Amino acid sequence: MSVAVAVTDSPEGRTALESAVAEARALKTGLLLVNLTLHDFADEEIPRDLEVTLINRSGRRDRDPVTAVLDELADHAEVDRLVLGVRSRSRVGKVLLGSVTQRLILRSPVPVLTVRVPESAKRG
Amino acid sequence: MSSSPYPHRQRFDLPHAGSGRPVHRLGVIATVATFGGLLFGYDTGVVNGALEPLSQDFGLTALSEGMVVASLMIGAAFGAVFGGRVADASGRRRTILLLAGIFIIGTLGCVLAPGAEFLIGSRFVLGLAVGGASATVPVYLGEIAPSEKRGSFVTRNELMIVAGQLAAFIINAVIFNVWGHVDSIWRWMLLVALLPAIALLVGMIFQPESPRWLISKGRTEEALAVLKKVRSPERAEAEVAEVTHLASEDAKQSTGGLTDLGTRWVLRLVIIGAGLGFFQQLTGINSVMYYGTQLLTNAGLDSGVAIIGNIANGVFSLAGISLGMFLLNKLPRRVMFLTGYGLIAVFHTLIALTAVVVPPGPGQAWTVLVFLVLFVFSMQGTVGPLTWLMLSEIFPMKIRSFAMGICVFVLWIMNAVVAQFFPPLIEAMGMTATFGMFAGFAVIAFIFLYTLLPETKDKDLAEFEREFKAKYGRK
Repeated sequence: MSVAVAVTDSPEGRTALESAVAEARALKTGLLLVNLTLHDFADEEIPRDLEVTLINRSGRRDRDPVTAVLDELADHAEVDRLVLGVRSRSRVGKVLLGSVTQRLILRSPVPVLTVRVPESAKRG
Repeated sequence: MSSSPYPHRQRFDLPHAGSGRPVHRLGVIATVATFGGLLFGYDTGVVNGALEPLSQDFGLTALSEGMVVASLMIGAAFGAVFGGRVADASGRRRTILLLAGIFIIGTLGCVLAPGAEFLIGSRFVLGLAVGGASATVPVYLGEIAPSEKRGSFVTRNELMIVAGQLAAFIINAVIFNVWGHVDSIWRWMLLVALLPAIALLVGMIFQPESPRWLISKGRTEEALAVLKKVRSPERAEAEVAEVTHLASEDAKQSTGGLTDLGTRWVLRLVIIGAGLGFFQQLTGINSVMYYGTQLLTNAGLDSGVAIIGNIANGVFSLAGISLGMFLLNKLPRRVMFLTGYGLIAVFHTLIALTAVVVPPGPGQAWTVLVFLVLFVFSMQGTVGPLTWLMLSEIFPMKIRSFAMGICVFVLWIMNAVVAQFFPPLIEAMGMTATFGMFAGFAVIAFIFLYTLLPETKDKDLAEFEREFKAKYGRK
């Protein structure tokens, strides 16, 4: 058993990471952290008490974050839950850019837990 | 055309690059490869001078004159995008060989063109080679040069581009003044470009592939063999590790794509970068580089004198670029950009006023020329080289390749737009309104950069990224 989380460079990404860490702690399992941001994670961003497998995107093959996550899920059969951050999007936003989260929800081989950014954190 | 495509790299302690044979060999490689830059300059500059006899031959209108010039830039926009892809897939050396072939075919197509349509098509093909060379040659030079000389090798290519334009101006002036009575003299002006194209093709056959590209394809043995030709033996062995590291960083650079523009601070950076390319072309620098001779003729000079006067534009362009390269390491980027756009606005305004205040005739033409060269000098001394440097350093590493691709594409397309619409605008609105418009764009550019442009000088990329993200990352 293990929990996977896809972390994007946004408040949703940070919320997803927090929820996934809490989930992994509660279930006493490992955490598969797929980093979809454009930087590599520093050590202090990764919780120490968990067994974390960190995956960074690299190269043209990983250009599409959805494929990157699905590939990792296929490689890690022990994962049985995927945590994602979600937010509401404007109509214009939906036309202009596709949603990574929506594509992942529809194509994930394992159940997906979606979390929303709490109102308080949005202003913080 | 960027002064250093690979700033902010991890440093390796390496033995001295060597002396004697390897250094000599590197010199040969640089000379051959920068023929690509020279061709870039010559092919873009040659219409300035060739256009008038050509226009008479084919009976061109202002609009079709624009098309003859702009078709090359459209080709270059696509050549710049796809040239990089081809160079990644089949190697730098083979790509440059291919480009040399396209230079030759394109040149012959232009020289033998039976009519304007065929000429426009051939110029598009030639543009593919020009854009491809602009994307591939600096990469090849940067990859084969030892790290301590990378900057100066790439700079050399940039100087060759401007030198190529200047050479085109001078050769045009000589050909036109000596053999001006010959029919279709413009064909001979274009034909001259065949010589450096052949030199590039033949020369590149004997040059080695980029070691970094070989290593990125897992061909380490071959890479070591190349390094042994261009470095001292100790350095060659030591450098394999550095190059392997650099090759893995290159892979990282092509990670990001369209989806990453969903991140607000990344989108903001890409908009700034695209704006840099957009406004660099709207300074009108290339309207001088392509139509300088015609401008002087319009203002009241004889064709033979105008084509000679136009050489001043090339000289000041080269002098400006040389000064700009020196200033890049001295001045903060923002100061240099804002000063540059300020000066550009001033000189454009002066050109616009000259056309009103000074009566038409040689007096007007010479006054215009003075302000034109001052504009060219201040543009090439600041905004010209600085734009390329900025583009190479503002993007987070993982999206750099994609983001630069967008910005360079925008830059070439704007180059084409200016080239296409300059002659009809001059015809319809006259010089005062056209240059007044350029002055207006320079003011808009000033405001755009003043509000949005972050400072990057003396900052390491990671530090800059953190600061920028902290400021604009929140939604």
